[in-house]
Amino acid sequence: MKYFDPHIHLTSRTTDDLEAMAAAGIRAVIEPAFWIGQPRTRIGSYIDYFSSLIGWERFRASQFGIAHYCTIGLNSKEANNEALAEEVLNLVPRFALKEGVVAIGEIGFDEITAAEEHAYRVQLEFAVQNDMLVMVHSPHRDKKRGIQLSIEIAREMGLGMEKLIIDHNNEETVDDTLRSGAWAAFTIYPHTKMDSARMVEVVKKYGPERIIVDSSADWGISNPLSVPETAALMESSGVDAETIRRVTWQNALDAYAQSGQIDVAALEAEAQIDQTRTFLDNSVLRGQQPERSVKS
Amino acid sequence: MSNPQELLDWIDGELGCHLDEAGDDWIRKARAEVAGGVDDGRFAQLLALASRQARRRAADISSEGRSRAAELLAGWDPVAWSVLDLLRVSLVLSRDDLAEESGPRAILEAFRFGDVGELCALARALQFLPQPEAYLWQARECCRSNMNEVFEAMACDNAFPAKHFDEVAWRALVVKAVFISAPLDRVLGLDNRLSEDLARMALDLADERRSAGREVQPLLWMCLGRHGGQRALDSLEREVAGDSVAGRRAAALALSRAGEGQRLAALAAGESDPQAAAALLAAQDEAPTQAAFRAVLDCPLP
Repeated sequence: MKYFDPHIHLTSRTTDDLEAMAAAGIRAVIEPAFWIGQPRTRIGSYIDYFSSLIGWERFRASQFGIAHYCTIGLNSKEANNEALAEEVLNLVPRFALKEGVVAIGEIGFDEITAAEEHAYRVQLEFAVQNDMLVMVHSPHRDKKRGIQLSIEIAREMGLGMEKLIIDHNNEETVDDTLRSGAWAAFTIYPHTKMDSARMVEVVKKYGPERIIVDSSADWGISNPLSVPETAALMESSGVDAETIRRVTWQNALDAYAQSGQIDVAALEAEAQIDQTRTFLDNSVLRGQQPERSVKS
Repeated sequence: MSNPQELLDWIDGELGCHLDEAGDDWIRKARAEVAGGVDDGRFAQLLALASRQARRRAADISSEGRSRAAELLAGWDPVAWSVLDLLRVSLVLSRDDLAEESGPRAILEAFRFGDVGELCALARALQFLPQPEAYLWQARECCRSNMNEVFEAMACDNAFPAKHFDEVAWRALVVKAVFISAPLDRVLGLDNRLSEDLARMALDLADERRSAGREVQPLLWMCLGRHGGQRALDSLEREVAGDSVAGRRAAALALSRAGEGQRLAALAAGESDPQAAAALLAAQDEAPTQAAFRAVLDCPLP
Protein backbone atom coordinates (compact mmCIF):
# COMPACT_ATOMS: atom_id res chain seq x y z
CA MET A 1 0.00 0.00 0.00
CA LYS A 2 1.21 3.48 -0.90
CA TYR A 3 0.32 6.64 1.03
CA PHE A 4 0.41 10.39 0.49
CA ASP A 5 0.62 12.54 3.63
CA PRO A 6 -0.33 15.97 2.27
CA HIS A 7 0.37 17.86 5.50
CA ILE A 8 3.45 17.19 7.62
CA HIS A 9 6.08 19.55 9.04
CA LEU A 10 9.22 17.55 8.44
CA THR A 11 11.43 20.40 9.65
CA SER A 12 10.37 19.28 13.13
CA ARG A 13 10.95 15.57 12.56
CA THR A 14 13.99 13.33 12.67
CA THR A 15 15.49 10.92 10.16
CA ASP A 16 14.11 8.08 12.33
CA ASP A 17 10.67 9.40 11.42
CA LEU A 18 11.54 9.56 7.73
CA GLU A 19 12.77 5.98 7.84
CA ALA A 20 9.65 4.78 9.60
CA MET A 21 7.43 6.71 7.20
CA ALA A 22 9.11 5.19 4.16
CA ALA A 23 8.89 1.72 5.68
CA ALA A 24 5.17 2.24 6.34
CA GLY A 25 4.58 3.05 2.68
CA ILE A 26 4.52 6.85 2.66
CA ARG A 27 5.67 7.78 -0.81
CA ALA A 28 4.93 11.51 -0.94
CA VAL A 29 4.41 14.40 1.44
CA ILE A 30 3.53 18.06 1.39
CA GLU A 31 5.23 20.32 3.92
CA PRO A 32 3.21 23.50 4.39
CA ALA A 33 4.95 26.66 5.60
CA PHE A 34 3.74 27.26 9.15
CA TRP A 35 4.34 28.74 12.57
CA ILE A 36 7.44 27.21 14.11
CA GLY A 37 6.21 27.21 17.70
CA GLN A 38 7.35 30.64 18.72
CA PRO A 39 7.17 33.93 16.88
CA ARG A 40 9.80 34.92 14.35
CA THR A 41 10.97 38.50 14.79
CA ARG A 42 12.79 39.29 11.55
CA ILE A 43 12.21 38.77 7.83
CA GLY A 44 15.48 36.88 7.54
CA SER A 45 14.02 34.03 9.57
CA TYR A 46 11.33 33.58 6.92
CA ILE A 47 13.78 33.74 4.04
CA ASP A 48 15.83 30.95 5.58
CA TYR A 49 12.75 28.93 6.51
CA PHE A 50 11.18 29.12 3.05
CA SER A 51 14.56 28.28 1.54
CA SER A 52 14.84 25.18 3.70
CA LEU A 53 11.41 23.98 2.55
CA ILE A 54 12.43 24.03 -1.11
CA GLY A 55 16.00 22.97 -0.38
CA TRP A 56 17.34 20.93 2.48
CA GLU A 57 14.03 19.42 3.62
CA ARG A 58 13.19 18.26 0.12
CA PHE A 59 16.61 16.72 -0.22
CA ARG A 60 16.42 15.06 3.19
CA ALA A 61 13.07 13.42 2.38
CA SER A 62 14.35 12.27 -1.01
CA GLN A 63 17.13 10.37 0.74
CA PHE A 64 14.46 8.04 2.11
CA GLY A 65 12.54 7.70 -1.11
CA ILE A 66 9.87 10.21 -0.13
CA ALA A 67 8.81 12.81 -2.69
CA HIS A 68 8.59 16.18 -0.92
CA TYR A 69 6.42 19.08 -2.05
CA CYS A 70 5.66 22.20 -0.08
CA THR A 71 3.38 25.18 0.23
CA ILE A 72 4.51 28.75 0.84
CA GLY A 73 2.60 31.34 2.79
CA LEU A 74 2.33 33.56 5.83
CA ASN A 75 0.51 31.66 8.58
CA SER A 76 -2.43 33.29 10.30
CA LYS A 77 -0.89 33.55 13.75
CA GLU A 78 2.08 35.58 12.60
CA ALA A 79 -0.14 37.74 10.39
CA ASN A 80 -0.85 39.65 13.60
CA ASN A 81 2.66 41.08 13.69
CA GLU A 82 1.56 43.59 11.07
CA ALA A 83 4.81 45.32 10.18
CA LEU A 84 6.66 42.04 9.78
CA ALA A 85 3.65 40.48 8.05
CA GLU A 86 3.82 43.14 5.30
CA GLU A 87 7.43 42.17 4.65
CA VAL A 88 6.52 38.48 4.54
CA LEU A 89 3.62 39.14 2.17
CA ASN A 90 6.12 40.80 -0.15
CA LEU A 91 8.42 37.80 0.21
CA VAL A 92 5.84 35.11 -0.55
CA PRO A 93 5.82 35.78 -4.33
CA ARG A 94 9.59 35.23 -4.39
CA PHE A 95 9.17 31.63 -3.23
CA ALA A 96 5.63 30.61 -4.16
CA LEU A 97 6.32 29.94 -7.83
CA LYS A 98 9.35 27.71 -7.30
CA GLU A 99 9.43 24.14 -8.56
CA GLY A 100 7.56 21.77 -6.28
CA VAL A 101 5.50 24.44 -4.51
CA VAL A 102 2.00 23.03 -4.86
CA ALA A 103 -0.09 25.69 -3.09
CA ILE A 104 -0.22 28.88 -1.11
CA GLY A 105 -0.52 27.77 2.48
CA GLU A 106 -1.14 27.18 5.17
CA ILE A 107 -3.08 30.41 5.47
CA GLY A 108 -6.41 31.40 6.96
CA PHE A 109 -7.51 32.36 10.44
CA ASP A 110 -6.28 31.92 14.00
CA GLU A 111 -8.08 34.43 16.25
CA ILE A 112 -10.09 35.85 13.32
CA THR A 113 -8.60 39.36 13.52
CA ALA A 114 -8.59 42.10 10.88
CA ALA A 115 -4.85 41.62 10.37
CA GLU A 116 -5.38 37.91 9.67
CA GLU A 117 -8.10 38.67 7.17
CA HIS A 118 -5.86 41.16 5.39
CA ALA A 119 -3.03 38.62 5.03
CA TYR A 120 -5.49 35.98 3.89
CA ARG A 121 -6.94 38.22 1.19
CA VAL A 122 -3.55 39.37 -0.12
CA GLN A 123 -2.39 35.77 -0.47
CA LEU A 124 -5.67 34.63 -2.02
CA GLU A 125 -5.30 37.36 -4.60
CA PHE A 126 -1.82 36.11 -5.46
CA ALA A 127 -3.11 32.55 -5.73
CA VAL A 128 -5.95 33.55 -8.04
CA GLN A 129 -3.66 35.63 -10.25
CA ASN A 130 -1.23 32.72 -10.58
CA ASP A 131 -3.84 29.97 -10.81
CA MET A 132 -2.58 28.33 -7.64
CA LEU A 133 -4.19 26.10 -5.04
CA VAL A 134 -4.77 27.30 -1.50
CA MET A 135 -4.32 25.24 1.64
CA VAL A 136 -6.34 26.69 4.50
CA HIS A 137 -5.49 26.11 8.15
CA SER A 138 -8.65 26.26 10.23
CA PRO A 139 -8.43 27.72 13.73
CA HIS A 140 -8.24 25.69 16.94
CA ARG A 141 -10.95 27.86 18.48
CA ASP A 142 -14.07 29.20 16.83
CA LYS A 143 -13.28 26.66 14.13
CA LYS A 144 -16.73 26.48 12.60
CA ARG A 145 -17.00 30.20 12.02
CA GLY A 146 -13.36 30.35 10.92
CA ILE A 147 -14.01 27.78 8.20
CA GLN A 148 -17.22 29.44 7.03
CA LEU A 149 -15.41 32.76 6.76
CA SER A 150 -12.41 31.22 4.97
CA ILE A 151 -14.68 29.69 2.34
CA GLU A 152 -16.77 32.82 1.94
CA ILE A 153 -13.75 35.05 1.39
CA ALA A 154 -12.04 32.60 -0.99
CA ARG A 155 -15.20 32.46 -3.08
CA GLU A 156 -15.55 36.23 -3.05
CA MET A 157 -11.92 36.59 -4.22
CA GLY A 158 -12.66 34.33 -7.19
CA LEU A 159 -10.85 31.14 -6.16
CA GLY A 160 -12.39 28.01 -7.71
CA MET A 161 -13.63 25.75 -4.94
CA GLU A 162 -11.81 22.79 -6.52
CA LYS A 163 -8.60 24.73 -5.79
CA LEU A 164 -9.36 25.12 -2.08
CA ILE A 165 -8.27 22.60 0.54
CA ILE A 166 -9.66 23.22 4.02
CA ASP A 167 -7.60 21.43 6.66
CA HIS A 168 -8.15 20.34 10.27
CA ASN A 169 -11.85 19.60 9.79
CA ASN A 170 -13.91 17.76 12.36
CA GLU A 171 -17.43 16.38 12.68
CA GLU A 172 -18.83 19.87 13.25
CA THR A 173 -17.29 21.44 10.14
CA VAL A 174 -17.21 18.71 7.50
CA ASP A 175 -20.70 19.50 6.17
CA ASP A 176 -19.89 23.15 5.53
CA THR A 177 -16.63 22.26 3.82
CA LEU A 178 -18.00 19.55 1.55
CA ARG A 179 -21.08 21.58 0.67
CA SER A 180 -18.86 24.43 -0.55
CA GLY A 181 -17.17 22.17 -3.09
CA ALA A 182 -13.76 22.44 -1.41
CA TRP A 183 -11.59 19.48 -0.38
CA ALA A 184 -11.99 18.47 3.25
CA ALA A 185 -8.74 17.42 4.90
CA PHE A 186 -8.60 15.88 8.37
CA THR A 187 -5.61 15.97 10.69
CA ILE A 188 -5.17 12.88 12.81
CA TYR A 189 -3.72 13.91 16.14
CA PRO A 190 -3.44 11.45 19.00
CA HIS A 191 -5.24 13.65 21.54
CA THR A 192 -6.84 16.67 19.94
CA LYS A 193 -7.98 17.45 16.42
CA MET A 194 -9.19 14.07 15.26
CA ASP A 195 -8.29 10.51 16.08
CA SER A 196 -8.18 7.48 13.81
CA ALA A 197 -11.34 5.90 15.20
CA ARG A 198 -13.35 9.09 14.64
CA MET A 199 -11.87 9.35 11.15
CA VAL A 200 -13.15 5.88 10.34
CA GLU A 201 -16.64 7.00 11.33
CA VAL A 202 -16.39 10.13 9.18
CA VAL A 203 -15.35 8.09 6.15
CA LYS A 204 -18.14 5.59 6.76
CA LYS A 205 -20.65 8.41 6.95
CA TYR A 206 -19.44 10.65 4.10
CA GLY A 207 -17.65 8.22 1.79
CA PRO A 208 -14.38 9.04 0.01
CA GLU A 209 -15.48 12.01 -2.11
CA ARG A 210 -13.04 14.97 -1.59
CA ILE A 211 -11.93 13.66 1.81
CA ILE A 212 -8.22 13.65 2.64
CA VAL A 213 -6.41 12.24 5.68
CA ASP A 214 -3.16 13.81 6.89
CA SER A 215 -0.91 13.81 9.97
CA SER A 216 0.12 17.48 10.37
CA ALA A 217 2.91 15.99 12.46
CA ASP A 218 5.06 18.80 13.83
CA TRP A 219 6.93 19.86 17.00
CA GLY A 220 4.04 18.87 19.26
CA ILE A 221 2.73 15.47 20.27
CA SER A 222 1.79 14.07 16.89
CA ASN A 223 2.35 10.98 14.82
CA PRO A 224 4.11 10.91 11.43
CA LEU A 225 2.52 7.51 10.78
CA SER A 226 -1.05 8.76 11.25
CA VAL A 227 -1.99 8.19 7.62
CA PRO A 228 -0.93 4.52 7.32
CA GLU A 229 -2.19 3.75 10.83
CA THR A 230 -5.59 5.25 10.07
CA ALA A 231 -5.68 3.29 6.81
CA ALA A 232 -5.02 0.09 8.77
CA LEU A 233 -7.83 0.89 11.19
CA MET A 234 -10.18 1.60 8.28
CA GLU A 235 -9.31 -1.76 6.80
CA SER A 236 -9.93 -3.65 10.03
CA SER A 237 -13.17 -1.69 10.49
CA GLY A 238 -14.49 -2.95 7.17
CA VAL A 239 -13.97 0.13 4.99
CA ASP A 240 -13.44 -1.02 1.40
CA ALA A 241 -9.98 -0.88 -0.14
CA GLU A 242 -10.89 1.60 -2.86
CA THR A 243 -12.24 4.11 -0.33
CA ILE A 244 -9.07 3.78 1.75
CA ARG A 245 -6.91 4.27 -1.33
CA ARG A 246 -8.77 7.43 -2.23
CA VAL A 247 -8.65 9.14 1.18
CA THR A 248 -5.01 8.23 1.87
CA TRP A 249 -3.53 8.58 -1.61
CA GLN A 250 -5.60 9.43 -4.66
CA ASN A 251 -7.60 12.42 -3.41
CA ALA A 252 -4.50 14.26 -2.20
CA LEU A 253 -2.83 13.47 -5.49
CA ASP A 254 -5.82 14.65 -7.54
CA ALA A 255 -6.14 17.83 -5.49
CA TYR A 256 -2.50 18.88 -5.52
CA ALA A 257 -1.65 17.59 -9.01
CA GLN A 258 -3.80 20.49 -10.22
CA SER A 259 -0.72 22.59 -9.45
CA GLY A 260 1.14 20.92 -12.31
CA GLN A 261 4.06 20.45 -9.92
CA ILE A 262 3.64 16.72 -9.24
CA ASP A 263 5.12 14.14 -11.57
CA VAL A 264 2.31 11.64 -11.16
CA ALA A 265 3.98 8.93 -13.27
CA ALA A 266 7.16 9.12 -11.17
CA LEU A 267 5.12 8.84 -7.99
CA GLU A 268 3.25 5.81 -9.26
CA ALA A 269 6.60 4.12 -9.98
CA GLU A 270 8.83 2.65 -7.30
CA ALA A 271 10.85 5.11 -5.22
CA GLN A 272 14.39 5.80 -6.34
CA ILE A 273 16.82 6.22 -3.48
CA ASP A 274 20.34 7.51 -3.91
CA GLN A 275 22.05 8.26 -0.64
CA THR A 276 25.34 8.93 -2.36
CA ARG A 277 24.01 12.37 -3.29
CA THR A 278 24.65 15.40 -1.13
CA PHE A 279 23.05 18.81 -0.67
CA LEU A 280 25.59 21.66 -0.67
CA ASP A 281 28.09 18.95 0.35
CA ASN A 282 25.92 17.84 3.25
CA SER A 283 24.67 14.30 3.51
CA VAL A 284 22.06 12.81 5.84
CA LEU A 285 24.48 9.97 6.46
CA ARG A 286 26.75 9.83 9.48
CA GLY A 287 29.21 7.18 8.39
CA GLN A 288 26.58 4.68 7.19
CA GLN A 289 26.84 2.81 3.93
CA PRO A 290 24.75 4.79 1.38
CA GLU A 291 21.69 3.01 0.03
CA ARG A 292 21.22 3.20 -3.70
CA SER A 293 18.41 1.86 -5.85
CA VAL A 294 18.66 4.14 -8.88
CA LYS A 295 18.80 2.26 -12.13
CA SER A 296 21.71 3.61 -14.11
CA MET B 1 -1.15 53.81 36.93
CA SER B 2 -0.44 52.31 40.32
CA ASN B 3 1.95 54.17 42.60
CA PRO B 4 5.36 52.61 41.87
CA GLN B 5 6.76 53.41 45.30
CA GLU B 6 3.89 51.63 47.08
CA LEU B 7 4.34 48.62 44.82
CA LEU B 8 8.09 48.62 45.42
CA ASP B 9 7.49 48.72 49.17
CA TRP B 10 5.13 45.79 48.84
CA ILE B 11 7.70 43.85 46.81
CA ASP B 12 10.41 44.59 49.39
CA GLY B 13 8.16 43.25 52.12
CA GLU B 14 7.62 40.01 50.20
CA LEU B 15 11.24 39.64 49.05
CA GLY B 16 12.66 39.86 52.55
CA CYS B 17 12.70 36.18 53.42
CA HIS B 18 13.79 34.98 49.96
CA LEU B 19 17.12 36.78 49.47
CA ASP B 20 20.44 36.34 51.21
CA GLU B 21 22.63 39.32 51.95
CA ALA B 22 24.36 39.22 48.57
CA GLY B 23 21.04 39.00 46.75
CA ASP B 24 19.65 41.86 48.75
CA ASP B 25 22.71 43.93 47.98
CA TRP B 26 22.49 43.09 44.27
CA ILE B 27 18.84 44.09 43.81
CA ARG B 28 19.36 47.36 45.68
CA LYS B 29 22.26 48.31 43.44
CA ALA B 30 20.50 47.11 40.32
CA ARG B 31 17.42 49.19 41.11
CA ALA B 32 19.52 52.24 41.79
CA GLU B 33 21.30 51.70 38.48
CA VAL B 34 17.97 51.43 36.63
CA ALA B 35 16.59 54.49 38.40
CA GLY B 36 19.67 56.45 37.33
CA GLY B 37 19.05 55.58 33.69
CA VAL B 38 20.49 52.62 31.75
CA ASP B 39 20.55 51.81 28.06
CA ASP B 40 18.12 49.19 26.73
CA GLY B 41 20.74 46.47 26.51
CA ARG B 42 21.86 46.95 30.10
CA PHE B 43 18.24 46.96 31.30
CA ALA B 44 17.57 43.62 29.56
CA GLN B 45 20.82 42.30 30.99
CA LEU B 46 19.79 43.20 34.54
CA LEU B 47 16.49 41.37 34.02
CA ALA B 48 18.49 38.31 32.98
CA LEU B 49 21.01 38.71 35.82
CA ALA B 50 18.21 38.46 38.36
CA SER B 51 18.24 34.72 37.64
CA ARG B 52 21.72 34.57 39.21
CA GLN B 53 20.30 35.85 42.49
CA ALA B 54 17.14 33.78 42.94
CA ARG B 55 15.41 30.77 41.48
CA ARG B 56 12.08 30.82 39.70
CA ARG B 57 10.32 29.35 42.73
CA ALA B 58 6.93 30.30 44.14
CA ALA B 59 7.15 33.47 46.20
CA ASP B 60 4.50 32.04 48.54
CA ILE B 61 2.85 35.40 49.09
CA SER B 62 1.19 35.53 52.52
CA SER B 63 -2.55 36.15 52.86
CA GLU B 64 -1.79 39.63 54.26
CA GLY B 65 0.44 40.23 51.28
CA ARG B 66 -2.36 39.23 48.92
CA SER B 67 -4.86 41.49 50.70
CA ARG B 68 -2.46 44.40 50.49
CA ALA B 69 -1.92 43.63 46.80
CA ALA B 70 -5.66 43.84 46.17
CA GLU B 71 -5.68 47.27 47.82
CA LEU B 72 -2.86 48.48 45.60
CA LEU B 73 -4.57 47.32 42.38
CA ALA B 74 -8.16 46.16 42.39
CA GLY B 75 -8.41 42.49 41.53
CA TRP B 76 -4.68 41.85 41.23
CA ASP B 77 -3.68 38.61 42.91
CA PRO B 78 0.02 37.69 43.06
CA VAL B 79 -0.77 34.11 44.10
CA ALA B 80 1.25 32.63 41.22
CA TRP B 81 4.21 35.01 41.38
CA SER B 82 7.74 33.65 41.67
CA VAL B 83 10.65 35.20 43.54
CA LEU B 84 12.14 36.11 40.18
CA ASP B 85 8.92 37.88 39.24
CA LEU B 86 9.28 40.03 42.35
CA LEU B 87 12.86 40.95 41.44
CA ARG B 88 12.13 41.65 37.80
CA VAL B 89 8.93 43.61 38.32
CA SER B 90 10.81 45.74 40.84
CA LEU B 91 13.42 46.48 38.18
CA VAL B 92 10.71 47.55 35.75
CA LEU B 93 9.06 49.76 38.35
CA SER B 94 12.39 51.37 39.18
CA ARG B 95 12.54 53.05 35.78
CA ASP B 96 11.83 56.76 36.02
CA ASP B 97 10.77 57.05 32.36
CA LEU B 98 7.71 54.77 32.33
CA ALA B 99 5.50 57.67 31.29
CA GLU B 100 7.88 58.73 28.53
CA GLU B 101 8.68 57.22 25.14
CA SER B 102 11.87 55.52 26.24
CA GLY B 103 10.20 53.39 28.95
CA PRO B 104 7.95 51.30 26.71
CA ARG B 105 10.72 51.07 24.11
CA ALA B 106 13.08 49.43 26.60
CA ILE B 107 10.40 47.14 27.97
CA LEU B 108 9.29 45.98 24.52
CA GLU B 109 12.92 45.35 23.66
CA ALA B 110 13.18 43.22 26.81
CA PHE B 111 10.14 41.24 25.66
CA ARG B 112 11.81 40.61 22.33
CA PHE B 113 14.82 39.00 23.90
CA GLY B 114 12.98 37.52 26.88
CA ASP B 115 13.25 33.91 28.03
CA VAL B 116 10.21 32.19 29.54
CA GLY B 117 10.75 33.56 33.05
CA GLU B 118 11.40 37.09 31.80
CA LEU B 119 8.30 36.99 29.61
CA CYS B 120 6.19 35.93 32.60
CA ALA B 121 7.56 38.71 34.80
CA LEU B 122 7.14 41.35 32.10
CA ALA B 123 3.58 40.16 31.42
CA ARG B 124 2.83 40.53 35.11
CA ALA B 125 4.39 44.00 35.21
CA LEU B 126 2.18 45.44 32.45
CA GLN B 127 -0.87 45.89 34.67
CA PHE B 128 0.97 48.51 36.75
CA LEU B 129 2.36 50.64 33.95
CA PRO B 130 1.21 53.90 32.38
CA GLN B 131 0.71 54.05 28.59
CA PRO B 132 -1.04 50.66 28.41
CA GLU B 133 -1.71 51.16 24.69
CA ALA B 134 2.02 50.89 24.04
CA TYR B 135 1.94 47.28 25.31
CA LEU B 136 -1.34 46.11 23.86
CA TRP B 137 0.11 44.20 20.92
CA GLN B 138 2.74 42.57 23.11
CA ALA B 139 0.12 41.58 25.68
CA ARG B 140 -1.89 39.87 22.96
CA GLU B 141 1.24 38.19 21.69
CA CYS B 142 1.75 36.69 25.15
CA CYS B 143 -1.75 35.23 24.87
CA ARG B 144 -0.82 33.72 21.51
CA SER B 145 2.15 31.96 23.09
CA ASN B 146 2.34 28.21 23.01
CA MET B 147 4.07 28.26 26.37
CA ASN B 148 1.27 27.93 28.88
CA GLU B 149 3.25 29.68 31.60
CA VAL B 150 3.48 32.80 29.48
CA PHE B 151 -0.18 32.62 28.54
CA GLU B 152 -1.24 32.27 32.17
CA ALA B 153 1.03 35.08 33.37
CA MET B 154 -0.84 37.40 31.00
CA ALA B 155 -4.32 35.91 31.19
CA CYS B 156 -4.68 34.95 34.86
CA ASP B 157 -4.61 37.11 38.01
CA ASN B 158 -3.69 40.02 35.76
CA ALA B 159 -5.77 43.18 35.50
CA PHE B 160 -4.47 44.19 32.06
CA PRO B 161 -6.58 42.15 29.59
CA ALA B 162 -10.05 42.91 30.92
CA LYS B 163 -9.21 46.62 31.00
CA HIS B 164 -7.55 46.97 27.63
CA PHE B 165 -8.31 44.09 25.25
CA ASP B 166 -10.84 44.65 22.47
CA GLU B 167 -13.66 42.15 21.98
CA VAL B 168 -11.80 39.91 19.53
CA ALA B 169 -8.71 39.67 21.74
CA TRP B 170 -10.77 39.17 24.88
CA ARG B 171 -12.82 36.32 23.45
CA ALA B 172 -9.70 34.69 22.04
CA LEU B 173 -8.11 34.80 25.50
CA VAL B 174 -11.12 33.35 27.29
CA VAL B 175 -11.79 30.55 24.84
CA LYS B 176 -8.10 29.68 24.69
CA ALA B 177 -8.07 29.43 28.50
CA VAL B 178 -10.92 26.92 28.27
CA PHE B 179 -9.27 25.09 25.40
CA ILE B 180 -5.93 24.57 27.17
CA SER B 181 -7.58 24.06 30.58
CA ALA B 182 -5.99 27.14 32.12
CA PRO B 183 -7.75 28.33 35.29
CA LEU B 184 -10.51 30.47 33.81
CA ASP B 185 -11.78 31.35 37.29
CA ARG B 186 -8.56 33.35 37.66
CA VAL B 187 -9.11 35.43 34.52
CA LEU B 188 -9.85 38.78 36.14
CA GLY B 189 -13.01 40.57 35.09
CA LEU B 190 -14.53 37.66 33.20
CA ASP B 191 -17.95 38.13 34.75
CA ASN B 192 -18.07 41.74 33.57
CA ARG B 193 -17.18 40.91 29.98
CA LEU B 194 -19.48 38.03 29.09
CA SER B 195 -21.29 38.42 25.77
CA GLU B 196 -23.46 36.69 23.18
CA ASP B 197 -20.46 36.11 20.91
CA LEU B 198 -18.44 34.55 23.71
CA ALA B 199 -21.35 32.28 24.63
CA ARG B 200 -21.69 31.16 21.01
CA MET B 201 -18.00 30.35 20.77
CA ALA B 202 -18.17 28.39 24.02
CA LEU B 203 -21.24 26.47 22.89
CA ASP B 204 -19.58 25.67 19.54
CA LEU B 205 -16.59 24.34 21.46
CA ALA B 206 -18.86 22.21 23.67
CA ASP B 207 -20.49 20.76 20.53
CA GLU B 208 -17.09 19.96 19.07
CA ARG B 209 -15.97 18.19 22.23
CA ARG B 210 -19.12 16.11 22.31
CA SER B 211 -18.91 15.23 18.62
CA ALA B 212 -15.38 14.05 19.33
CA GLY B 213 -16.63 11.89 22.19
CA ARG B 214 -14.68 13.95 24.72
CA GLU B 215 -15.71 15.56 27.99
CA VAL B 216 -16.52 19.26 27.92
CA GLN B 217 -14.08 21.27 30.06
CA PRO B 218 -16.09 22.09 33.22
CA LEU B 219 -14.95 25.72 33.33
CA LEU B 220 -16.35 26.27 29.83
CA TRP B 221 -19.75 26.78 31.44
CA MET B 222 -18.47 29.96 33.08
CA CYS B 223 -18.51 31.63 29.66
CA LEU B 224 -22.29 31.74 29.34
CA GLY B 225 -23.69 33.99 32.07
CA ARG B 226 -27.16 35.01 30.87
CA HIS B 227 -26.23 34.60 27.20
CA GLY B 228 -26.79 31.91 24.61
CA GLY B 229 -30.56 31.62 24.89
CA GLN B 230 -32.29 28.28 24.52
CA ARG B 231 -29.22 26.72 22.93
CA ALA B 232 -27.28 27.41 26.14
CA LEU B 233 -30.01 25.96 28.35
CA ASP B 234 -30.23 22.82 26.21
CA SER B 235 -26.48 22.35 26.32
CA LEU B 236 -26.44 22.84 30.11
CA GLU B 237 -29.31 20.41 30.66
CA ARG B 238 -27.39 17.84 28.65
CA GLU B 239 -24.37 18.39 30.88
CA VAL B 240 -26.23 18.08 34.19
CA ALA B 241 -27.58 14.76 32.93
CA GLY B 242 -24.07 13.60 31.95
CA ASP B 243 -21.39 11.38 33.48
CA SER B 244 -18.83 14.00 34.46
CA VAL B 245 -19.20 15.01 38.11
CA ALA B 246 -17.18 18.20 37.63
CA GLY B 247 -19.18 18.97 34.51
CA ARG B 248 -22.50 18.48 36.33
CA ARG B 249 -21.48 20.78 39.16
CA ALA B 250 -20.20 23.52 36.89
CA ALA B 251 -23.25 23.28 34.63
CA ALA B 252 -25.52 23.55 37.67
CA LEU B 253 -23.84 26.82 38.66
CA ALA B 254 -24.12 28.02 35.08
CA LEU B 255 -27.85 27.28 35.12
CA SER B 256 -28.14 29.55 38.13
CA ARG B 257 -26.22 32.27 36.31
CA ALA B 258 -28.61 31.82 33.38
CA GLY B 259 -31.55 32.61 35.69
CA GLU B 260 -32.57 29.00 36.26
CA GLY B 261 -31.74 29.01 39.97
CA GLN B 262 -34.85 27.00 40.79
CA ARG B 263 -33.28 23.96 39.09
CA LEU B 264 -30.50 23.85 41.67
CA ALA B 265 -32.49 22.42 44.56
CA ALA B 266 -33.26 19.31 42.53
CA LEU B 267 -29.68 19.04 41.33
CA ALA B 268 -28.29 19.50 44.85
CA ALA B 269 -30.56 16.69 46.06
CA GLY B 270 -28.86 14.35 43.61
CA GLU B 271 -25.34 15.46 44.60
CA SER B 272 -23.52 12.88 46.70
CA ASP B 273 -20.87 15.17 48.17
CA PRO B 274 -22.32 17.34 51.00
CA GLN B 275 -19.91 20.23 50.36
CA ALA B 276 -20.80 20.33 46.69
CA ALA B 277 -24.50 20.07 47.48
CA ALA B 278 -24.21 22.99 49.91
CA ALA B 279 -22.44 25.05 47.28
CA LEU B 280 -25.19 24.33 44.76
CA LEU B 281 -27.87 25.31 47.27
CA ALA B 282 -26.02 28.51 48.09
CA ALA B 283 -26.03 29.36 44.40
CA GLN B 284 -29.82 29.15 44.18
CA ASP B 285 -30.59 32.69 45.20
CA GLU B 286 -27.58 34.62 44.10
CA ALA B 287 -25.91 34.07 40.74
CA PRO B 288 -22.58 32.40 41.51
CA THR B 289 -19.39 34.31 40.73
CA GLN B 290 -16.19 33.06 39.11
CA ALA B 291 -14.82 32.06 42.52
CA ALA B 292 -17.85 29.85 43.17
CA PHE B 293 -16.86 27.65 40.24
CA ARG B 294 -13.48 26.97 41.76
CA ALA B 295 -15.09 26.16 45.12
CA VAL B 296 -17.42 23.61 43.56
CA LEU B 297 -14.71 22.01 41.46
CA ASP B 298 -12.34 21.84 44.42
CA CYS B 299 -14.84 19.71 46.37
CA PRO B 300 -13.69 16.11 46.44
CA LEU B 301 -14.96 14.30 43.36
CA PRO B 302 -16.64 10.98 44.19
